[in-house]
Amino acid sequence: MKISFTLNKEKVTIDVDPMKRLLDVLREDFNLLGAKESCGEGECGACTVLLNGKPVTSCILNAIHAEGKEVETVEGISKTKLGKLIMDCFDETNAVQCGFCFPGFFVSSYYYVKTDGEKDLMKIKRALSGNICRCTGYEKIFDSVMLACERAK
Amino acid sequence: MKCVKKFDAKPKLDGSWKFVDDYTYDNMLYGQLLYSKCHHGYIKKITFPSNYDLSEFTMVSPQDIPGENIVPEPVCDQPYMVDDEVMHYGQVIMGIAHSNRRLLRKFVNETIIEYDELPAITGIKECLENEENHFGEETTVDHTTAEEPDSNWIYNHNVYYTPHQEQAYLETQGVISVYDPKESTMFVLITAQCPFFVKTGVEAILGDTVKEVIIESPQGIGGAFGGKEDFPSLLAGISSLLSYKSGRPVKMVLERSDDIQITTKRHPARIELETWTDPETKKIKRCRIDYRIDTGAYQTLSPVVLSRGVLHSIGGYYVPDTFIRGRMFRSNTPSNGAFRGFGAPQAFAAMEAHIDRIAADINVDPYEFRKTNLFRIGDEFPTTQKIVDENLSDCLERVILNSDYQKKNQEFAVWNKTHKDKKGIGIAVAYHGGGYTGNGEKILKSKIKVTIDKDAMVKIFVANTDMGQGAHTTLAQMFYEAIGHPREKCWVQLPNTSKTPNSGPTVASRTIYIIGNLLRKLAFQLKDELGFDNLEEYVKTHQGKFPSVSYKTFTPDPSVVFDADTNVGIAYKDYSWAACVNEIYFNVDTCKIELKKSWNVLDAGKLVNEKIAMGQAQGGILQGLGYGLSEFFYKPGYGRMHGFTDYVLPTTLDLPEMNIEFIHTDSDLAKGLGEIPMNFPAPSLRNAFHNATGIFIDEYPLIPERLFKAMEAQK
Repeated sequence: MKISFTLNKEKVTIDVDPMKRLLDVLREDFNLLGAKESCGEGECGACTVLLNGKPVTSCILNAIHAEGKEVETVEGISKTKLGKLIMDCFDETNAVQCGFCFPGFFVSSYYYVKTDGEKDLMKIKRALSGNICRCTGYEKIFDSVMLACERAK
Repeated sequence: MKCVKKFDAKPKLDGSWKFVDDYTYDNMLYGQLLYSKCHHGYIKKITFPSNYDLSEFTMVSPQDIPGENIVPEPVCDQPYMVDDEVMHYGQVIMGIAHSNRRLLRKFVNETIIEYDELPAITGIKECLENEENHFGEETTVDHTTAEEPDSNWIYNHNVYYTPHQEQAYLETQGVISVYDPKESTMFVLITAQCPFFVKTGVEAILGDTVKEVIIESPQGIGGAFGGKEDFPSLLAGISSLLSYKSGRPVKMVLERSDDIQITTKRHPARIELETWTDPETKKIKRCRIDYRIDTGAYQTLSPVVLSRGVLHSIGGYYVPDTFIRGRMFRSNTPSNGAFRGFGAPQAFAAMEAHIDRIAADINVDPYEFRKTNLFRIGDEFPTTQKIVDENLSDCLERVILNSDYQKKNQEFAVWNKTHKDKKGIGIAVAYHGGGYTGNGEKILKSKIKVTIDKDAMVKIFVANTDMGQGAHTTLAQMFYEAIGHPREKCWVQLPNTSKTPNSGPTVASRTIYIIGNLLRKLAFQLKDELGFDNLEEYVKTHQGKFPSVSYKTFTPDPSVVFDADTNVGIAYKDYSWAACVNEIYFNVDTCKIELKKSWNVLDAGKLVNEKIAMGQAQGGILQGLGYGLSEFFYKPGYGRMHGFTDYVLPTTLDLPEMNIEFIHTDSDLAKGLGEIPMNFPAPSLRNAFHNATGIFIDEYPLIPERLFKAMEAQK
């Protein structure tokens, strides 16, 4: 089945099984390897992408869910001005450890800073509660997003 | 103590840093493990689904193994694949490969295996309560005296249980094996902590069929925490066999549900403590410890876990008359393995809980009781190793001060009298011996290599992997800071067993402590030998001497002597120390513990990179809090957990306000830091729960169901 959507601001069309997981479509058909599979059941957020501007877990969505919509992955987001600003904040705090969950955290953080951006720890914790990290204990991730909120003003 | 940034942070954020599943090879197959869903028995029949073309599949079973069907481990008792009798749930029966990943998944799911089932031991208590399940060698520490217990000494006798814990590295186990028949090599790209362990494993299963096995680390390793210490050998063995048989590259990445069910976990433990305390002096005079671990079906590396557990089981206390007995117990569950702390978290979970129990019995504050009994300079461990500093006491004093423990303790007692919900505060202290136990480092003889090119580029070759802990940033830092070389001119190379000398596994809090300090020594040695102040200038003016290659091998301190048979001597040359205070809020209606504040003080010696060290402590402490509070893995009648939906990991909303301080950072020595954060959080939560409610829980984790039962029982 032919499925058309906007991927990182570009219009794309692919011929694919409509039930193929969106995560697999991104990784296998578009070679966008930033979104990772970790839990495979929508719990951990390592596969987070933006669908029509909102964070979703791409491991529990199918290709058909992207039809006619806008998909933004970490590859697209990291090239934006705001994306670069957030990346610098994560870099400066030495927040990144193994890095497997970070593309997902990056997308969720980007969404928060872009749509809310208030330097409020509790709000940030809620915004990131769909992403699991096993290395960092989250503290430095909060530091990074707090810093990003301040700088993005 | 500089806060150099990690070189890999940005590519990890934008998704360009490659983990094993991000690599592909031409003509590559996907592999999957067909494993047992029966705990114990014989395989009667395997029926593959009929609507597939079987000729498209490559399958391996024990008869395809040219080498040995035994994984090389400290104890060689675990087969790669079921030989005859299925010994545990999750035991690998076959490896199967196909070019279509999804079709393969379906095929394996639809395959039906029939068994003749035998009785099986699956529960933790069922395993650890029954003396008949004991197997393997026991390990004891005998520090007894002839003195008879005084009749007025207070006797405390309790049994403590600790559960499995899942490492829950975000990247599941994965490997790509690439067989090259022309060169007769097997190249293996694998997410693993110990490339040389994997090499030995692949060599064992392939026998003489290939000339060389090469193990390489991918750019990224998505967390490990011990979980990628020994299981990768088994996984790589089977993927390599599939590659050898098919003649094609084979990628095998476990799905989460498979990974969580069949890979190694932290050993559940049953720890029985008997103590005799003098009510006059408030000192513990005598202690007997029975430390048991559930190894799963095979011993594999469990004797080493047992040894570390036993050697940490007395806690931070000097008890003149002590006897410790450690034993392994067999069950029909997957072999348990390494997990951050390696036997020590279980030991402290029991001893630190027990200390609060004695304190309550003799009516002394838990802090005062610890203060009275903590070992002092001149005291000794049960191994007779002398205590040479009082940094553990310093940690305790500092954390009591930081948390304002005494004031809170009084306030909560008053508050709890008039409120339905309860507030509580609890202490724990812990330590962790750096590096391999006893003579381990002597035997390992770790070797490192450093090359300097004509452009003064320094390349460091070590087998230690960077699995997120930042080792490749901090190891480089230790070298270039020692000789004052610019950061951009000094890099750790990705481990590859054909290019890297064997500097040992990435385990046991040894990477900075052993390998980093060895690199530092080599840096100073080169500076002395060549006589330079500025390496870049020196290389420019002495081009003939470059490129240069230098090696250095670990030389043990001759004063460190340990008898592994009797457990007498110096078990670990240097210890890291820690103490914590945790504050909780207990909701009586939901029986849920909310973490409020967490104060932690650690002594890991000199910090190479303050932010990286802090990140290690923050992450480790949260894992420790999860171990104490929510990480529940096995439930009778339900079995093992299946994924992140039923195995409850701490999220951003679960963590307390965190306060972490490092002390004695002006030391010259960078000690181990990787594991110690795991050793103390769990018992302090349990002690805080007692402080809040007056109820002792002797079984972890402190899930609401357990607390509810305890509250009901008290009514």
